[in-house]
Amino acid sequence: MSLEREFSEDKKQLTIMMSERFDFSLVQEFRSAYSNDTDTVNAIVVDLQVTEYMDSSALGMLLNMQKVLDKQVSSYKITNCRPQVLKILRIARFSKKFNIC
Amino acid sequence: MRILVVDDDSLNRFLLMHMLEQQGYTDTLEAADGITAIKLAEQFQPDLILLDVIMPGMDGYEVAKILKHEAGDIYLPIIFITGLDNESALVKCLEVGGDDFVAKPFDKVVLSAKIRAHARTRQLSRKAYEQNKQLTFYQNAIEREHQIVEHIFSNALATDEFYTDYIDHCLEPATDFNGDLFLACASPTGGFYFLIGDFTGHGLASAIGAIPVSQAFQAMSRKGLSLMEMAETINKILLSLLPDEMFFAALIVEVSCTGKHIDVWNGGMPALLLQDTNGDIVNRYESRHMALGILEVHEFESEVERSEISYGQRLIGFSDGIVELQTPSGEMLGESGFETWLVEKPGIDIKELLTKADCFLAGEERKDDVTMVIYTSQMLEPVTRVADESKLPIKITSKIPPEYMKISDPIIELVNIVTNELGLFGIHSELFTILSELYNNALEHGLLNLDSSLKQSEDGFLEYYSLREQKLASLENAFIEITIEYFPEHKKLGLQIVDSGKGFDHAKTTEVTSVENAYGRGISLVKELCESVKYSNHGNTVDVMFAL
Repeated sequence: MSLEREFSEDKKQLTIMMSERFDFSLVQEFRSAYSNDTDTVNAIVVDLQVTEYMDSSALGMLLNMQKVLDKQVSSYKITNCRPQVLKILRIARFSKKFNIC
Repeated sequence: MRILVVDDDSLNRFLLMHMLEQQGYTDTLEAADGITAIKLAEQFQPDLILLDVIMPGMDGYEVAKILKHEAGDIYLPIIFITGLDNESALVKCLEVGGDDFVAKPFDKVVLSAKIRAHARTRQLSRKAYEQNKQLTFYQNAIEREHQIVEHIFSNALATDEFYTDYIDHCLEPATDFNGDLFLACASPTGGFYFLIGDFTGHGLASAIGAIPVSQAFQAMSRKGLSLMEMAETINKILLSLLPDEMFFAALIVEVSCTGKHIDVWNGGMPALLLQDTNGDIVNRYESRHMALGILEVHEFESEVERSEISYGQRLIGFSDGIVELQTPSGEMLGESGFETWLVEKPGIDIKELLTKADCFLAGEERKDDVTMVIYTSQMLEPVTRVADESKLPIKITSKIPPEYMKISDPIIELVNIVTNELGLFGIHSELFTILSELYNNALEHGLLNLDSSLKQSEDGFLEYYSLREQKLASLENAFIEITIEYFPEHKKLGLQIVDSGKGFDHAKTTEVTSVENAYGRGISLVKELCESVKYSNHGNTVDVMFAL
């Protein structure tokens, strides 16, 4: 299983759907997902609906994405978290940097 | 064709036997009186009897009654051969059970024609009897099989009763077996799941699929998986099991531990209704997907609707059996009719709805299964997540050689062993995070001496992981030992990770860094998730205690 992505019709919003496991094994793939053909994007949604396993490398990857797209993207959302994953995001105080819902 | 001739007059017997022989009936018996006739009939089971009326001792009328009675279910033709010619005597022949009569002296042509005709009827009767016997046999066999399947069903579909406090439901089959299915199961994260489904058709064939669905649903519920994964898995199972024309419409709902955050996946079921306390229907979660068991895995869509409802609001789910109720005049209830019932009496419960349904039917038979579920949003009692956990203290140790580190990551495997074998399903995500942090620290810093500060920039981040790969490839003579000890009495897991490296400055990695940093939050995560974290032996050993 690996991640998938989807653009809104106006190409302004990019949704990245993560797989069951979100850790450093996806480092290249995740980077490509937010950097290839994303010139028009100003909003990013990371969908964690099926993500069960996550560690700090995933948190690092999310923050890196934000750093790199700093000037271009104004809205970052993390959606559909499982309760267990939400707990990790909360401990890491990610709600300060991401809109978690 | 075996024929019994009964006559006290030996000349008459001779004439009859002779005629029979001429007609080709060679399998014949003769009796000179009633008693002998009954004995012979019992012993040799003739197919037809030619019977004299007037005999000394038992007369023909009496013999006929007994023979008919003994013959049972298969038609035994009795033809009276009689010298009597008054009407009443002939009528009596038929009344006592005789099937025909021929006057003495008998006409050969007429008698043999009658014998043939009655033989045909006897043949038909025997065939019908055999078929009946077979039918009865099949019927019994099917009944027995139904009983067995029902037994399996009641065991396979038994779910925990915890939900009765929160959920009002009914499952009313139209036949012995339901095409409808209702399942509910607690989630290890404190909430619960429920599923209402409807297989195409009803009866045994449509109920068969219920077993794998229910088993998969329970297994996935216990692991706390997402609806998306549930829908995908059930679709996959049914796709391989069901014939093409059969499928399974399903509504799956997850209620979170708060009791008011809900996820809904609806494939082919009537809309799940959200009813406000004042009775208004404020939301309809319509079917957004095709039923399960139709789409190939790659075509399958599993998006879930997520929403927050308020305490006191009610979620009402049902199968089409209720909305397709028909009055004797053919008028259908419909979704709007059903909603009217709900709006008229905002707190209406399932029992009252069923009474309404009976009134509506006005004596008409129900044609489909009726399933309804009502969940009233409320605070949920915390469901303990270690309900079925093992009581046995267990310690497992895995000493991982470099060869294994190169090809795979042991953490998922260990998490699966612990959660499945010990029944600790709810902790898989947290346990993964903790073990993953500790293992990667041991590997990256303990064995490979990588420097986390590389991870400051995006490029550095990638460089860090490619360096990790390079160094790992040439790693030799090293190990990481992971020990997991389960203390059932204290409901705790002790985890120890030891590496064979030179040791590293754990203080550096435990620094709490600002939220902007892309690295250095691993250990602080572990500290938040665990009761205690203790490094020793120059950072080569770390012990943590995790409360269940």
